[in-house]
Amino acid sequence: MVTLTIDGREITVAEGTNLVEAAAAAGVEVPTYCYHPGLTVVGQCRICFVEVEGMPRLVTACSTPVQPEMVVLTASKRVREARAAVMEFLLENHPLDCPVCDQAGECGLQDYSVEHGLDSTHMVDERRTNPGRERHLIGPHVVQNQNRCIHCTRCIRFTTEISETADLTMKSRGNHSYIDTFDGRPFDNPWSACAADVCPVGALTVNEFRFRARVWHLEETRTICPGCSIGCNVSLGHLNGVVHRFVPRENAEVNGWWMCDYGRFLAEPLNDRTIDVPLERFGDGERRISWDSALAEVARWLREAPKPLVIASANMSNEALFAVRRNLVEGARMDVIVPVSEGETRRIKNGRGAWFSSNDAHPNSTGARHLGLAVADAANLESYLRDGTGPVLVLDAHAHPWLASEGAAAISADRQVAVLARYRTPLVDAASMVMPLASWAETDGTYTSSTGRVQLAHKALQPVGQARRAWEVVFHLALELGIEQERAVTPRILFAEMAAEVGAFSGMTWGRLMAEPGMPVHEEVVGVG
Amino acid sequence: MSDPILLRARGLKNSRSLSTYCRLGGYSALEKALSMTPAEVIEEVKASGIRGRGGAGFPAGVKWGFVPRDTAKPKYMICNADESEPGTFKDRELIVVDPHMVLEGIALASYAIGANTAYIYIRGEFVDEAQILGKAIAEARRKKYLGEDMLGSGYDLDVHIHRGAGAYICGEETALIESIEGKRGLPRLKPPFPAVVGLFGCPTVVNNVETLACVPHILERGGAWFAGIGTERSTGPKLFCVSGHVERPGVYEAPMGITFRKIIEDLCGGMRGGRKLKAFIPGGSSAPVLPADLIDTAADFESVAQAGSMLGSGGLIVMDETVDMVWALENLLAFYAHESCGQCTPCREGSDWAVDIVRRIHRGQGRQGDIETLHRIARFASQGMTICPLGDAFCGPISSFLEHFGHEFEEAISKASSMTAKALPILPVQSDRELFGL
Amino acid sequence: MTSPLVVASPDEVGDVTFDRSMDAQIRGILKRYPNQDAALLPVLWLCQDRWGWISPGIMAAVGKRLDLAPAFVEGVATFYTMYQRRPPGKYLLQVCTTLSCQLCDTSVLVDHLKQKLDIDFGETSADGLFTLVDVQCLGACGEAPVIQINSDYHTDLTVEKLDALLERLAGQ
Repeated sequence: MVTLTIDGREITVAEGTNLVEAAAAAGVEVPTYCYHPGLTVVGQCRICFVEVEGMPRLVTACSTPVQPEMVVLTASKRVREARAAVMEFLLENHPLDCPVCDQAGECGLQDYSVEHGLDSTHMVDERRTNPGRERHLIGPHVVQNQNRCIHCTRCIRFTTEISETADLTMKSRGNHSYIDTFDGRPFDNPWSACAADVCPVGALTVNEFRFRARVWHLEETRTICPGCSIGCNVSLGHLNGVVHRFVPRENAEVNGWWMCDYGRFLAEPLNDRTIDVPLERFGDGERRISWDSALAEVARWLREAPKPLVIASANMSNEALFAVRRNLVEGARMDVIVPVSEGETRRIKNGRGAWFSSNDAHPNSTGARHLGLAVADAANLESYLRDGTGPVLVLDAHAHPWLASEGAAAISADRQVAVLARYRTPLVDAASMVMPLASWAETDGTYTSSTGRVQLAHKALQPVGQARRAWEVVFHLALELGIEQERAVTPRILFAEMAAEVGAFSGMTWGRLMAEPGMPVHEEVVGVG
Repeated sequence: MSDPILLRARGLKNSRSLSTYCRLGGYSALEKALSMTPAEVIEEVKASGIRGRGGAGFPAGVKWGFVPRDTAKPKYMICNADESEPGTFKDRELIVVDPHMVLEGIALASYAIGANTAYIYIRGEFVDEAQILGKAIAEARRKKYLGEDMLGSGYDLDVHIHRGAGAYICGEETALIESIEGKRGLPRLKPPFPAVVGLFGCPTVVNNVETLACVPHILERGGAWFAGIGTERSTGPKLFCVSGHVERPGVYEAPMGITFRKIIEDLCGGMRGGRKLKAFIPGGSSAPVLPADLIDTAADFESVAQAGSMLGSGGLIVMDETVDMVWALENLLAFYAHESCGQCTPCREGSDWAVDIVRRIHRGQGRQGDIETLHRIARFASQGMTICPLGDAFCGPISSFLEHFGHEFEEAISKASSMTAKALPILPVQSDRELFGL
Repeated sequence: MTSPLVVASPDEVGDVTFDRSMDAQIRGILKRYPNQDAALLPVLWLCQDRWGWISPGIMAAVGKRLDLAPAFVEGVATFYTMYQRRPPGKYLLQVCTTLSCQLCDTSVLVDHLKQKLDIDFGETSADGLFTLVDVQCLGACGEAPVIQINSDYHTDLTVEKLDALLERLAGQ
């Protein structure tokens, strides 16, 4: 450990820490552009100058490791003048695009310019532009405006060091240098939008978010990506009930500062909703029905049948699955399976440079296993349904791709099938009873990743229309089935009860999950599944 | 200094051949050095006081001494033949006239630092010169002056030629190393210094062609002999390349400390067409310009520094009374803007900004405040604000041109036509919906 | 006398594979360095000497041969001004426009060339013979004005000498 003084405050940090991080530890923010904690240090933007006593010249904080007894000044007159000069150089060719630039509100130039820059410029000449690269769809998910580029090279380093696709490069030289792909080919790798994330300015922006909303209007809710079992930490940006974007949240253990494009663009479908009221099949069509009536009817089917089937979902939260286990498995003694499907391989690098990979298309297969629920693949799912004749309760019509097939729909031909769904599929159109299901963004919930972490996804949106959360439906259904409930439930209450009962979650509390970036499952049960 | 040392073979028939070189005493220094220890060779070079002839003027012997002896890593010797500083053309002369002198210098330096591989980084435009060196290397290998078991000493040295491809910045030693490694020529952050972490991460010494060409003479006749030429702190003979408005431009050898007046009037036949001297740049375009009244300054590192400039590479550019200094500065700044690697903010933005301003002043559209802005740029793109000295290289000219010839800039600005309001261009704006399918 | 460049058409260097001779030369280059990456600049020169310019197809082939990402190769090739990215004419007239040559009135030569060949910097004459480019200091300032044509330096030029030179070249 090394002890040094920054702006008069003494701090102790690990050997090898650079002065940007050391200053942060001392509560001082040194401005940076090219520096990124997840990428190599290049020391080229020159904004992070600080003064070190005894050294004749200012040094770049990002490339200077701490030394014992170092005395650092981050806001001396020399430093402030140098920083203001670098800001002026950066803004000298930068277009006044703020009114039309998506980066506004989370832009490095805006932020540091106000704090460290001059309030005008000496520049009266024409700014250099990059015709043809000003509104350029450099890849399917990334828009380039090279005029705005400050040449920090974070995007290039992202593609060489993180995605390892090496598809971005700097071409030409000097003030004419510009970012591009080989031979102008599409910038298309599985994490391409992360290049827009690391860009401190609006030179690279996310295509799908273009012009949708001003970032300072957005509410950002901390949640977990549902795209696969890795469980990348994300932030859901929404406004007035409309989801506008996902951006990755930092988690050194799981996803570093990154997320894949597939997960990122699961944001959009959250806005799609075609089922928002309960419906019952009536003759050739369907008619609206109240929740109470729907639940009463479904409960009657389940009570009267010898062997009702329940299909839960690996997309459901731990709390919802626990409610299923307690009420439907233990309470009502029903057969419950959790379908899991293999999907495309998804990969992400964590903050320590390690790759995680997942073929599991669900965010919570691991949670289902830890709760002791039976897991089924597509073949087993199909035979499970065909072998039965009684009623079927599908707690999530989107639990498995096969459920959306015509084959699944055919099963409801002569059986009582009740489904919870968000949008229409053949099964939904054939089901006897359809109830609106709230999306994962409309409930608090914890999910257990394949990396063995339980992570908390906060509720971002109010349920749309009459949609209800899965754990809520199970609770109400249990009441209809006559299963005694000790108290009204919330996800938090369910979690506490689950932690007391289920070994994998022992020792965890909701409060800690809110504060910490996920918690590892209990040692003993790591091997389950 | 009576007889030329570095250019002793100029004018001789077959000056480049190995036989000519040996006849004049060539490779005897190598033979002598191979019987000394590398440390002794370094001491001799230190005793000579020789300072780098590439522009920085760093004592070569001291630089060699920085190479760690106790490392398992291979060491590399690099000969910097990138010669791209405007006004400099002495290395080319040496290669064309006496390539073996350069090779022997490389061999001696390599032996001194313990390198078994040396690269000659030669600018891409010097195609003939690269071939000349290649031929000389082959000749030297045949006679065991290079290659395996040189002169039976057990010491091996391979010398390879690595051509640049048009980038002045690759004359900076760390950018040069990056270029050999197969990358864009971007200077590295220092520390670490090349003597410790250089080519392929190994200890490396980079020396200029002329510096290396001096080494055989130092070893042959002694460091003390070398130190006896020139001045106390700028020792040895120096090649001065003179271009511009003199009668006889070219490369001239003279001891350090000769005055610029002597170079121009005695060696170069005086000003072209009998005109008057107005200004001169003593050491390549990165050196601050000096006015005519400083012509009696001695051409050595200290004296030129005291006069407010740098001896640099010894590339003397002479300007007469017909030269418009605003035009001259624009030309130089255009060079630096063209050559900036683009890595760091002050140089990338400042170099382009500066040339835009001076160009505008030259075209009669100068404005009040332009000179202050130029000073501001010069202040903040130099003295450590940038990763490498290219920032200082364009800021020196800005400051010195304004200091000595500021009146020409002021005059151009005051005479400037009023800025007519330019009509803003109307760009055809396609709907984003079309472009992005929104 | 300066030899003309042999320049491949874009079609010829669209999809490139190295023949045995090229490959042998590449292996020879690789021997000079402990690290394969260092062969990039010399291999690009080898390709330009063979085909006259560096096309995307060549960059892809070089990348494959040296195990370098093609975007990286392009980043390097575009940094250095001597690697031609478009097919040049038979004679690449590289005119030095830096201070020492300007002091020796190279601007007169430049105006003359632009007018005579009816092209600007960066363009090729209609007959495909001459490509005109402005370059920075060529390191022969004592013999200014200097123009490098293909690999050769032509020095101490005047309008008359230049005209005679161009005529000889055109006649080859």
